Amino acid sequence: MIAIRTFLTRLLTHPATILGAIAILFFGSAYLSGGTVAILGFLMLNILLAQSMNLLTGIAGQISLGHAGFYGMGAYASGILMKTVGLPFIVSVPAAAVIGALTGYLVSFPAGRVREFYLGMMTLAFGLIFREVVREWDGLTGGAVGLSGVPSTTLRNLSLFGVTLDGLDYFRVVLIVTAVVMWLVHNFIQSRYGRAFYAIHASEVAAGCLGIPRAGTKQMAYTIAAGMAGLAGGLYAHMIGYLGPESFDLARSIEVLVTTVVGGLGSMAGQILSAIVFTFLPEKLQVFAQYQFIVYGLILAFTLILLPRGLAGLFLLPPRFIKPASLRHVATDGVAIRTAGTVADAALKVEGVTMRFGGLVAVDNVSLELHPGRITALIGPNGSGKSTLVNVVSGIYQPTSGNVRFYGEEITGLEDHRIAGLGLMRTFQDPRLVPRFTVRENLLLGAHRRYRSSALAATLALPSAAKEEAAFLATVDAVTKMAGIADVADQPLESLPYGYRRLVEVGRALLAEPRAILLDEPAAGLSEAEMVLLARMIRAMKDAGLMVLLIEHHMDFVAELVDDVVVLDSGRVIYHGDIGGMRQSPAVIAAYLGTADHA
Amino acid sequence: MEEFLTLLLAGISVGAVYGLIAIGLNLTFWTTKTMNFGQGSVMMLCAMLTATLIARGWPQALSILAALGIIVVLMVFTETYTVRPALKIEGSMGWAVSTLGVGIVLQGCAALWFGSQALAFPDIIFSAIDDVVVFGVHVSLQYIAVLVLALALVVVFELLVRGTVWGRAMRAVSMDSDLASVIGIPTRTIVLGSYIGSGILAGVSGILVAQIGGTVDPAFGFELVIFGFVAAVLGGMGSTTGALVGGIVAGVLQQMVGGYISSAAQHGMAFALLILILVVRPQGFFGQREIVKV
Repeated sequence: MIAIRTFLTRLLTHPATILGAIAILFFGSAYLSGGTVAILGFLMLNILLAQSMNLLTGIAGQISLGHAGFYGMGAYASGILMKTVGLPFIVSVPAAAVIGALTGYLVSFPAGRVREFYLGMMTLAFGLIFREVVREWDGLTGGAVGLSGVPSTTLRNLSLFGVTLDGLDYFRVVLIVTAVVMWLVHNFIQSRYGRAFYAIHASEVAAGCLGIPRAGTKQMAYTIAAGMAGLAGGLYAHMIGYLGPESFDLARSIEVLVTTVVGGLGSMAGQILSAIVFTFLPEKLQVFAQYQFIVYGLILAFTLILLPRGLAGLFLLPPRFIKPASLRHVATDGVAIRTAGTVADAALKVEGVTMRFGGLVAVDNVSLELHPGRITALIGPNGSGKSTLVNVVSGIYQPTSGNVRFYGEEITGLEDHRIAGLGLMRTFQDPRLVPRFTVRENLLLGAHRRYRSSALAATLALPSAAKEEAAFLATVDAVTKMAGIADVADQPLESLPYGYRRLVEVGRALLAEPRAILLDEPAAGLSEAEMVLLARMIRAMKDAGLMVLLIEHHMDFVAELVDDVVVLDSGRVIYHGDIGGMRQSPAVIAAYLGTADHA
Repeated sequence: MEEFLTLLLAGISVGAVYGLIAIGLNLTFWTTKTMNFGQGSVMMLCAMLTATLIARGWPQALSILAALGIIVVLMVFTETYTVRPALKIEGSMGWAVSTLGVGIVLQGCAALWFGSQALAFPDIIFSAIDDVVVFGVHVSLQYIAVLVLALALVVVFELLVRGTVWGRAMRAVSMDSDLASVIGIPTRTIVLGSYIGSGILAGVSGILVAQIGGTVDPAFGFELVIFGFVAAVLGGMGSTTGALVGGIVAGVLQQMVGGYISSAAQHGMAFALLILILVVRPQGFFGQREIVKV
């Protein structure tokens, strides 16, 4: 089965296959009937819509239940701009994409403030309201009667660069646009942006702590997806020359969603297969038209549960998020792991931090300092507030009072991705990685904050972006060697045992070239051999001049590594000093073992 | 003046129903942080079944009970086969897609069985032309009945949530479902119950709206849920008082905009209101900011 999938994936995603298919469609369409060419044109639009939805839902994990609204926005925009305003085709269609994108940007405006399902409801509302507004605003849109006379191939009044287009020419235009957009989206997905989208999908908190802004990333996903849908709408407007509100109703949104879900969330190739099925099948099964809606409903209700990876999951390998070309250019000579250089006032200072949850004081007036090249252990019984303190420092919780300074700069209450952006990294008590990513992809995610090439460079696959990616991949290789996980670098994380995940998470934080790192129980659940590897990584951090905070229960492990020890009990610091002194401290002994007075 | 008062009362009355819909959405939000995206179809189906059974000569009360009974079965199915399995897939919004799917199936089935034309909804207590004169203004008795009924339901709901063991158990589940199961609260049953309760509230709201509007068709509902959602967000997701206040604000604004500006602007108004509140005060009038647990 794997062999078949591997074969099919190689075959279908091979450049020769793709270019061949485009060439056959481009030249072969001359020998097809006008009706068939028209259906092929619709197929292209369905592919564009499915890719748009896939980028939003399959990659970024966000939801749109009103995609027909964005599609319609583009269609009416291009139709009206050309018919009423008189702009040429070459302007009106890109304008449709821009207007679609703008709509997506506005609809997703609350992305950072609310739970993601609000946006599902908002897109649903947008889709319904778009149709109502189109019906009522008849001065502009033609209302329920529709907008007819949009320049189109059927009316023979559509021209591009002075050439009047017929149905065949127009199909070729749509084909080329679809192919180019897919190439761009493919580049985008296999760049740090695509990985950031998927990281938000897998765990928002973890993504934030890697320096990926949650709200901005989600809004970007809606903007790009809506822009693609708007583009598809613009192309649709001139295919038939008539626009009616019923072409953009809930049923159309559902159709797009069904296509994407069946194709397989995340897979671009799956979307093409699915778009083919849902473009041709309804044509052949006219008899079942009255059941179509019910069937679509059933597909939505059960596909994600029964067949979560859709058609792509059956026939193809999971998609990857690194360009194979970048992988081939990785430098093989050893690359040192670097950290940002140290400057004056280099310290992480926690000053009098208190964190209350209602009546519970989880952290009570805690102060501590981390310095470059020193490892500080934070220990204490369960529930003593260690993880809460890390959550405050890394920006997940807003402290009730007190402040945190990093390199002299106040970072109290900053958003988590901003704190990460300053070079303060953390790991989680339960490793938070992207299960479907390979080890290599997960590690590369750590480097997110250090990329400098623009989204445009990544989307156009410019050499500068590829070079940057290759440089980080070389660092990934160095980290996998140090962590002893080089041999599993290309395995999906979800297939690996627990110990590996811990090592990958620590490695990921290293890739960020941090100045400080907070490790929340990194040795929990590790075997002896894995602990040796972990200790090696932590020492490397110290040698590289990082500030390290180590939360750990494993005392032998701690004793070997640390310079300072801070002990918490019930949210308060009860000891601060070296590890020898801690063993003698009456307060610490009392906290762990109880006092003799009780006897 | 008379027009203003009529619109105001209509707004309050319809708004109270939006409040009921919002409470239905809140109920599942409490227990599972999910909400039924197919809720509109539940409202539609309940109203359609009631109308059909009454048309067949069934007594009104029995028709309503039978329709609600079918809704209960449906919600058990929805929770068991679409929400629960989808919630197990981590980091996914599968439940939104699957509940919407169930809603679409119901809409499709309703169109198949009852046709896509609107059915006339019978007058249950008062007819649309019954009215009373208050301060010299003709006031529709139907609006008053709907308002009284909706308010009574909100009060009963609050009493159940605050006063009974099940209500307290549900609040425990909403705080921390893992902890609730550890201390012996049957979390599963509570979640199922929240879906059933949510369905019943939706069904009753469907009947009330159909009573005011006079007709019901398969596409009825989706838009109402949007208004219910606007009410819930406006009042603060999870707050019962908020839902009622938010519903009435949304209802009154909708009627005023419809009456004085244009009926077309009503829809845009709801959406604008939603965007506005999320930008200005995302936690709504009565809601509290959520603390993300890590």
